[in-house]
Amino acid sequence: MKQLLIALMVVSALIAPAVLCSANKSKPSTSPIYVFTNDDALRHTYSSVYLAGGSQGSPTLTFQQSINTTGLGIGGGFFGTPRLAMLPSSSAQCLFVSDAGSSDIAAINIQTQTVLGTFQGSTNDNGTSNGIGMVMNQNYLYAGYTLSNTIATFSIGAGCQLSFLGDIAVTPLNGGWIAGMALNGNVLVVAYIDGSIQSFNTASGIPTSNNDEQNATGFASAYFPDSVDITQDGHFAIFGDAAVPTTVEVSDLSSGKLAPTVLYILGAATNAIGPGINSATARLSPDESLIYISNSQNGYVTAAFFNRNTGKVTGGCNSPQLANFYNPWAYVGSLQTRDTTGTGNVLYVAEFGSSIGIVNVTSTGTACTLTESAASPVTDDLSPGLLSIQVFPPRPF
Amino acid sequence: MRVMMKATWLFLICAIAVTVASAQDMCPARPLPGSLVVNPLDLFSQNGSLTVNMTLENQEGTDHFMHYCYSYIYQGQQIEAPTLRLNPGDQLNLNLTNSIQAPYDKYPKKMQMSMHVPQPATKQPDADCNGGMILPSTTNMHFHGMNIAPICHQDDVIYTLIQSGDPPFQYNFQIPPNDNPGMYWYHPHPHGEATTQIDGGASGALFIEGTINGTQGLPERVLVIRQQFNNPNSWIPGPNQLTVNYQPALFPDAPSPYINMQYGQQEFWRVLNATSQSFLSLQVVYGTTPQQVQVVALDGIPLSPPLAENQIVIPPAGRAEFIVPGLPSNQEGIFLTNGYATGAVGNANPPQDLLKMFGTDSARVEPPPARPASKPTADRPRFSGLLTAQPTTTRSLYFSEQTVGSNGPTQYFITVAGEKPHVFHMDDPPSITTTIGAIEDWTIENHAGEAHDFHIHQVHFLLMAINGVPVQNPELYDSYPIPAWSGTGPYPSITVRMDFSDPNIAGTFVYHCHIIDHEDGGMMAKIQVNPSNKH
Repeated sequence: MKQLLIALMVVSALIAPAVLCSANKSKPSTSPIYVFTNDDALRHTYSSVYLAGGSQGSPTLTFQQSINTTGLGIGGGFFGTPRLAMLPSSSAQCLFVSDAGSSDIAAINIQTQTVLGTFQGSTNDNGTSNGIGMVMNQNYLYAGYTLSNTIATFSIGAGCQLSFLGDIAVTPLNGGWIAGMALNGNVLVVAYIDGSIQSFNTASGIPTSNNDEQNATGFASAYFPDSVDITQDGHFAIFGDAAVPTTVEVSDLSSGKLAPTVLYILGAATNAIGPGINSATARLSPDESLIYISNSQNGYVTAAFFNRNTGKVTGGCNSPQLANFYNPWAYVGSLQTRDTTGTGNVLYVAEFGSSIGIVNVTSTGTACTLTESAASPVTDDLSPGLLSIQVFPPRPF
Repeated sequence: MRVMMKATWLFLICAIAVTVASAQDMCPARPLPGSLVVNPLDLFSQNGSLTVNMTLENQEGTDHFMHYCYSYIYQGQQIEAPTLRLNPGDQLNLNLTNSIQAPYDKYPKKMQMSMHVPQPATKQPDADCNGGMILPSTTNMHFHGMNIAPICHQDDVIYTLIQSGDPPFQYNFQIPPNDNPGMYWYHPHPHGEATTQIDGGASGALFIEGTINGTQGLPERVLVIRQQFNNPNSWIPGPNQLTVNYQPALFPDAPSPYINMQYGQQEFWRVLNATSQSFLSLQVVYGTTPQQVQVVALDGIPLSPPLAENQIVIPPAGRAEFIVPGLPSNQEGIFLTNGYATGAVGNANPPQDLLKMFGTDSARVEPPPARPASKPTADRPRFSGLLTAQPTTTRSLYFSEQTVGSNGPTQYFITVAGEKPHVFHMDDPPSITTTIGAIEDWTIENHAGEAHDFHIHQVHFLLMAINGVPVQNPELYDSYPIPAWSGTGPYPSITVRMDFSDPNIAGTFVYHCHIIDHEDGGMMAKIQVNPSNKH
């Protein structure tokens, strides 16, 4: 009998999580979706938290609270710099928020939404000019400091505690600074905002160069990669360019090194009229069928179709100009998808000045629409210059 | 051994001399906040010519700003940025010595740019006229607004590069006999380095003398508004101060610069906006009442009739000359800028008191400078008849920007419509080619979220339309602001008429945004004006 009871308890213990998981799967809407910001304020910077809500076609965001990171921001910087980092998993527990003004990184418990500590790299690591970008995997967090042009490596311990392991200096080819960063497996890809790009191997923790630093193809036209994303299978790196037309570049990473990029010009190529001034941030949809692009300097969002097998990019659709552009907000920053599958269905867009735009996505696979929600934008009062946001649960890669 | 001793002594003497020289002040001291504002030293032409020896030097001042000073020795004293006064037809001989030394700046540079200037098609005998490298210590001089030749030793800023330590470089040209009396100015123009030098204070006024109606006998004030930056920890220009004749205008954080005016006495004010990026909305206020001033000249061109204004907007590089009404008894006045909306991504351009005006019954005000009799301007002033002239060509251009972040670095473009925007490099071919005799209408749009300031060398232009709406009484300018694009709707624009009829301006010169940071950042292009077969 005792053995039977023990057996039942063991079986129950094994079955319960599965039952819970399947319950979660059947009712995805019951799991709260949070949007976190890096408010990047000059004094007492915060990460503000919003709860996703609303109905199909009418998504909303509701402010929850602002978490004081205890550090300082700088109120702006490079568009492509990711100022928030989270493990690309629904089991992520830690959110890291960079404080560029005080050159530290705050660790936040996603569930309790409390600060667990702040961490610094070496005394040389400095992001006070244009921010600190971050990417992470299960074991390491990599922080790119824009002023010192260094990448610091931290190991991630229990309770979101970071331990500084060391840093490396980067040397952009044309005098630029580190901006965009993306990590897939052991490959770290960075963009230097001066037209040059590079990848590193992180297998041993601290990055080592893959000896593939090069000027992107767009460099010849003064199109400068600013942000980076990598496909889930690690096959392609995608760069959003600071460029007058809407421009993305795709590099084949299958060899473990960056191949010369293929340039895709999607917007007005000459007079910069209408959608297509500065495509500095680009991000794949969860199903990798679309690349979402912030047209940072004219307030639009573009979606371009992406073939994840060939890496080819073709035209898609543009949003209307997002509400309140230039009055009061000025640049479109990073964007994130609400849902972790399909197209993501809803885009959250960081608006520098400061608010969060909400954009509905529809796609048939060959045609798409981007329409701003009636509830958009949502003000982010504590941010003088919002450029980076992060969604939980995050896109799974 | 004796030879060695001699050499050692020589070395020691040299070392001491170098140490003493380096310890000396390179630039004159600048006035402290709350001081009396006085006119810059006037240097008048005599017997048809003016010869001036100036040295451009730099030094971090006790105020911790990096000073760039046009130094002139007057009666054994070092004077900064004298005012040059010449009559139409006079000859200016300006010998400029470049003594710029490291450290050059207090904040690192933004982006590496192409700084090599190719040799001109025809090699010049003077090495300083043949292009080469533009270094932080390189300079040259632009005579802003002057309608003189774009050639070496006159007003060439493309191939003329004066390196530190070079022998004095002579600028030598005649003031055109048919030029209008009015206010012009001189400043450095080495591409990529002009911001640092101008922000450091390297600029001065130049007057073509002559009678401007209504100003005879009035006390004259020459006010040069500059801007200085001090942000050692960032490449972002950041916090800055306006100065009035080098005195910081910091009120309420510090006492205002001030002047004394005789109660009831009208004065003739000649104001130069020598700031690198500040649009000034100037106003004279007595008590709390803004005063109506009579604007008699803009950008060196007399107005007929004068304009009655209670606020004058002058962009960077602009000049306004106006008659200020007498200060009523027992009142004080303020000369201020009301600030300017530079657009959603423009530089902050806040209101600022520039100086206080105190009244007196005694004659403590500075008397008008004793001016030699000026020559009359030639019968037919330059640019007359331009309004009714038939344009031979129309062109469309636009300002735009591309940035990698909210703080930049930004690429600045001025582009002929249909061409691809690109950052200007000194080895670029001309974007526009025309011929002497051409009369051209240019429409210049602003596609950017911040204001820009159109300027062209060698000629003034007639402002014909703003946003496509004809201007009722077109005036001549050499710099004019185009407001920021609001983000929606048509782009703000100006339409200007260019007169390339003077054969003296044949050659290659530049047009650009006169926000100097934008100019240095690439918002510039060349125009080549070919000689006409008819001449």
